[in-house]
Amino acid sequence: MTYYNNAVITKHELLVRLIQLLDTNKLLDDIDRIPLEMRPRTNSPIRCCVHKDRAVIKYKLMALLGFNIADEQHELTPLKEYAEQALEGYTQNGNFLTVVDEACSSCVQVNYTVSNLCQGCEGRPCQVNCPKDAIMVLNGKANIDHQKCVNCGICQKACPFHAIAYLPVPCEESCPVKAIRKNADGIEEIDFDKCIHCGKCMTACPFGAISEKSQILNLFNNIKHKKEKTVAMVAPAILSQFKASSAQILNSIKAVGFDEVMEVAEGANMTTDHETNELLERLNSGATFMTTSCCPSYIEFSEKHAPELKPFISDTPSPMAYTAMLAKKRFPEHKAVFIGPCLAKRTEVYQNQNIDYVITTEELGAVFAALKFDLVKTDDSPIVSKVVRPESRGYAASGGVTNAIKTILSSEHNITTELIDGIDKKSIRLLRSLPNKKVTDASFYEVMACDGGCINGPVNVSPLKVSQNKLKKAIQEIQSEEAAV
Amino acid sequence: MIDSIKYKIQICCGTMCYIMGGAELHLLNDHLPSNLKDKVSIEGIPCIGKCDTKEKHHPCVKINGEELNNATSQKIVKQLLTLENNDLL
Repeated sequence: MTYYNNAVITKHELLVRLIQLLDTNKLLDDIDRIPLEMRPRTNSPIRCCVHKDRAVIKYKLMALLGFNIADEQHELTPLKEYAEQALEGYTQNGNFLTVVDEACSSCVQVNYTVSNLCQGCEGRPCQVNCPKDAIMVLNGKANIDHQKCVNCGICQKACPFHAIAYLPVPCEESCPVKAIRKNADGIEEIDFDKCIHCGKCMTACPFGAISEKSQILNLFNNIKHKKEKTVAMVAPAILSQFKASSAQILNSIKAVGFDEVMEVAEGANMTTDHETNELLERLNSGATFMTTSCCPSYIEFSEKHAPELKPFISDTPSPMAYTAMLAKKRFPEHKAVFIGPCLAKRTEVYQNQNIDYVITTEELGAVFAALKFDLVKTDDSPIVSKVVRPESRGYAASGGVTNAIKTILSSEHNITTELIDGIDKKSIRLLRSLPNKKVTDASFYEVMACDGGCINGPVNVSPLKVSQNKLKKAIQEIQSEEAAV
Repeated sequence: MIDSIKYKIQICCGTMCYIMGGAELHLLNDHLPSNLKDKVSIEGIPCIGKCDTKEKHHPCVKINGEELNNATSQKIVKQLLTLENNDLL
C-alpha cells in the first residue's frame, strides 16, 4: 500500500481550488494565479526553485483539465485558455492517464548506486564480480558506469559493507504489466497498448507526476448552471470514504446539484442474480471455472494481456452497467454520472453509451470541501430506494461479490471460491495458468485489481482501514433499516 | 469505574480537513504509545471552520479543546507526550 503523502494532498488542493474558482465564477480570471498562490516566494522550494515548483503546478493543473503536455502548442499559453476548453469538455481518446513531464523527476536510469559507506576495500568484490565491467574505483570509492550497468544487482549482494543501495523507480515497480517506461529523454511514458488503468503508478509516484484526465470542471459547470439534468450513480465504495452516514453522503451528493441519486448497489443486486445463474449454467455445461467481470481493470488486463482468459470471464454486466440501464429507463432525459473510487471505470464508461461522466472520490470530496458542505450536519433520512441488499454494498470490498453470490446459492451447490485480491505480478501468473488447468482449485474466482477491493481504489481519500470500518457501518445501516420494517 | 480518559481528541471531520490529510488521523490509535492508549479518547466532530485554502490550517484537531493546526498523527502524539510530561513535573 502507498503511505499517505504530500503529493496526494497537492492534488486534492488543486481540485479544491479549481472548484472554488469555478463556483465563484472566477475560474477564467484567477486560474493562472493558482501556481503563485500555492507556491509563494516566501516558502522554501520543494524542487530546485520556486519557478520550477510553479511550473509543476501549472502542468498538473493542465493534466487535471484533460490536457497532455504534448498538447501544448505554445509555452506562453495561459491556463485560462485550457480552462475555457475544459469547461466545454475535452475530447476523450480512451487514455485517461498522463505523465506530467515537468513533475517527473526522471528517477534513476540505473537502479544501483554506491553510497558513501564504500570503504574502497582491497577485495573489491563489486568490481571483480561485475559481469559487465561497469565498476571503477575512483578516489578510493567505487563508481558505477551507467552506460555499462545492466541492473543485475550482483555488486549489491557482493559488497560486505552494504554500501551499494538499490534505488527503485516507483511507478515502474508498481505497474503490474510493464506499461510505463522511460523515453529517450528519461521521462516516463505510458504505453496505452499495455496500460490497464489500475492507477497503481499514479499512487506510487512520490512526485505526483502521473495524473488522470478529469471531467469535473465540465460536469460541475453544467450542474452549476443547470445546463443539463443529471443522475448521480454512486458506487458503494463512496459510502466508505467520508465520515458521515450513507444517507448523509447520498443526500449531500444530491445537494451538490444532481437531480437524481441512485446507488450502484442497486445494479449490484442484478449482477449478483445474473452472475449466480451464469455460474451454475457454465459449470453444468462443463466449464472448469468462471471469474467475475465487475472489475474494469481486470477486464482491460484480459483484453490486452491474457486473451486466453476471456472465455472464462462472466458475461454479466457490471453493477455500474446495470445501474446505468436502470437510470436510462427511469430518467431518459438525464445525463448519467458515475461517482466511484476507480480510474479504470473511465475506460469502461468510454465504451458504455449509457453513461456520460465519471467523477472520482477525490473530486467529489473536493466539491464538498469547496462548497463547504458539512456532511454530518446533512439530512440523515434515507433517499434511495429500499431495494438495495446489504451484500450489494459489500461489493466494494474484496470478497464482497463472492459473499453476495453465496447468499443466493443454496447449500446443495458445492461451489468452491477463491479471491484474487489485487492484480500484481504474482496473481497475474496464477490467472494466466488457470485456462490450461484441467482441474482448478476453485470454480469461482473473484478478481479485484486493487488489494482490498474498490474501497482501496487509487482515487480514494480514506486509508483502507478506515474505509473497511466505514463500509461495515454502511452495510449495517441497511440491515438495521430492514430490521426496523 | 474511574474514568481514566485524560485527553480528549476531537478530529475535525469537515470534508476539507478530511481530504487534506484528516482521514489519516483516524488511524491515530495505531500510533499511540502504550502508556497513553488508555488515557486518550478519539472522536470525530463536525467542521470547526478551518477550511480557508489561503490560511491552510487543515487538517485540524482539538486536544482537550485546544486546537492543533496542520495535524499529523506524529504531531498529536508529540503534543500528548508534552502534556503528559508537564503533568509529571
